[in-house]
Amino acid sequence: MTKLKKFLRSKKMVTIVWVIGILVIWEIFAFIVQETKRTPINVLPHVWQIIGSFFSDNKVSGQLTMAELIGQSCSETLLRAGLGFLIGTVVGYILALLMNLSGVVEKIAFPYLMLIQMIPILGMAPIILAITGDINTSRIVIAAILTFYPVSTNVLAGFKAVEKEKHELMYSYAANKFQLYTKTLIPACIPYFFTGLKISAPMAITASILVDTLQGGNGLGCMLSQSLKGGMTRLVFWDIVLMSAIIGILSYWIMGVIERLLCPYKRKKSED
Amino acid sequence: MDTQTEIMLDNIGMTYKTTDGRDVTALTSVSLNIQKGEFISLLGPSDCGKTTLLRIMADLLQPTQGTITVGGETPRQARLKQRYGIVFQSAVLYDWRTVKKNVMLPLEIMHVPKAERSERADKMLELVGLTDFANHYPNQLSGGMQQRVGIARALALQPEILLMDEPFSALDEFTREKLHMDLLKIWRKTNKTIVFVTHNIQESVFLSDRVCVLSPHPGRLSAVIDIDLPRPRTMEMRNTPEFTELVAKVRGSFEGV
Repeated sequence: MTKLKKFLRSKKMVTIVWVIGILVIWEIFAFIVQETKRTPINVLPHVWQIIGSFFSDNKVSGQLTMAELIGQSCSETLLRAGLGFLIGTVVGYILALLMNLSGVVEKIAFPYLMLIQMIPILGMAPIILAITGDINTSRIVIAAILTFYPVSTNVLAGFKAVEKEKHELMYSYAANKFQLYTKTLIPACIPYFFTGLKISAPMAITASILVDTLQGGNGLGCMLSQSLKGGMTRLVFWDIVLMSAIIGILSYWIMGVIERLLCPYKRKKSED
Repeated sequence: MDTQTEIMLDNIGMTYKTTDGRDVTALTSVSLNIQKGEFISLLGPSDCGKTTLLRIMADLLQPTQGTITVGGETPRQARLKQRYGIVFQSAVLYDWRTVKKNVMLPLEIMHVPKAERSERADKMLELVGLTDFANHYPNQLSGGMQQRVGIARALALQPEILLMDEPFSALDEFTREKLHMDLLKIWRKTNKTIVFVTHNIQESVFLSDRVCVLSPHPGRLSAVIDIDLPRPRTMEMRNTPEFTELVAKVRGSFEGV
């Protein structure tokens, strides 16, 4: 009884309820679509059709099976998203450092950073493409642009959130600026940094897929648009949708795992 | 106890400018000599400037009037020589560092060699009775234990002067009384000069050699009362008529509250 109660209150239970709920609703509509539409696969296939197609041996594009095709495009997309994410993180972090070090830099940069964030990706993509001249480079650049803003603002907020007393403590130790950052500010803002990373990791992936659709090449977005245009079976589209969701959630989850590894003090607290 | 002056305050005044341009006097003409090895309390209600006075000693604030010397030097020179240990009202621990690493923090800043850092931190933790908690994280400790880590960290620097800003005011009565005894024991062992800010009359009488009574509007030093209770102080002393008398005397010295 108590075990059941404990389970009912746990986080796992919430996740299970959501997963089951979404599956049930999906299937209800899938059955309705199956009865009413001529090509139900184009509108809403069953979950088992989507998953089944992923493991089927049928060639969907040239010599590639579904799993091979998706695996290949997925790694292309992830590589670009990851590279952009890395660049965006480094640039964002350095910018936050500069803004914290200099009020002038903050005053100049901070209000306009948001503007970059407000331009729609698909509007920005042709401009970046024109500048870089290469679609793959511009995919990386756009992932980086979307990454750096959440990282930058969260890290800056983290620096600012350090209590006055910690600054005074370092002051009383006659610590220099370098020590103030390495011993106090940078470790103190790690949780804020990861808040930023958790927001931007799935965003980098989304951006990468979206920009994929603009031109050809390899990548989840490219395959997705080919499938929608009828170049491949529509199930490729559905599998990519599923795959995108999975890698998006995974990227968030991985950031959480790294955070817990880096912050053992937080882990111990949650065990209590 | 030798009678060398450690901190000399001469006619210290502090005037702030508020955002709407008015002048607010936080402190006016405070003169006081604090002896080496003395335990002195700054006692008063909120707004009496006691924390301001402590912050002036710590070189966290510059007085707008008067002069202050610490061991014959300016507070800034004393700070740069790391002669201060500061304990705040909250423990201000670094939650990503274990208890021991918290205590080692000032030693890292001072570039003390690694082996010595560890040795000194162990010694300090023993002094405050937290040896068994060296590898715990601050959020696993009670409020009283956290404050003891804060004290150990302040002592690790081996400062000559310990500045304490209402260090026990957030703790419950039982923990506080226990920490009073611990602090007095540490003080006896280490011979520090301690400046202790508090708004608790009993606390100031029990701990101090002298109680400096500050009164608000404007903050000023209204009395300095010698506490001639014998040392070492014991818990039972709180129940003696002498203690009660001194508490009454201190209470009677407040003006304009």
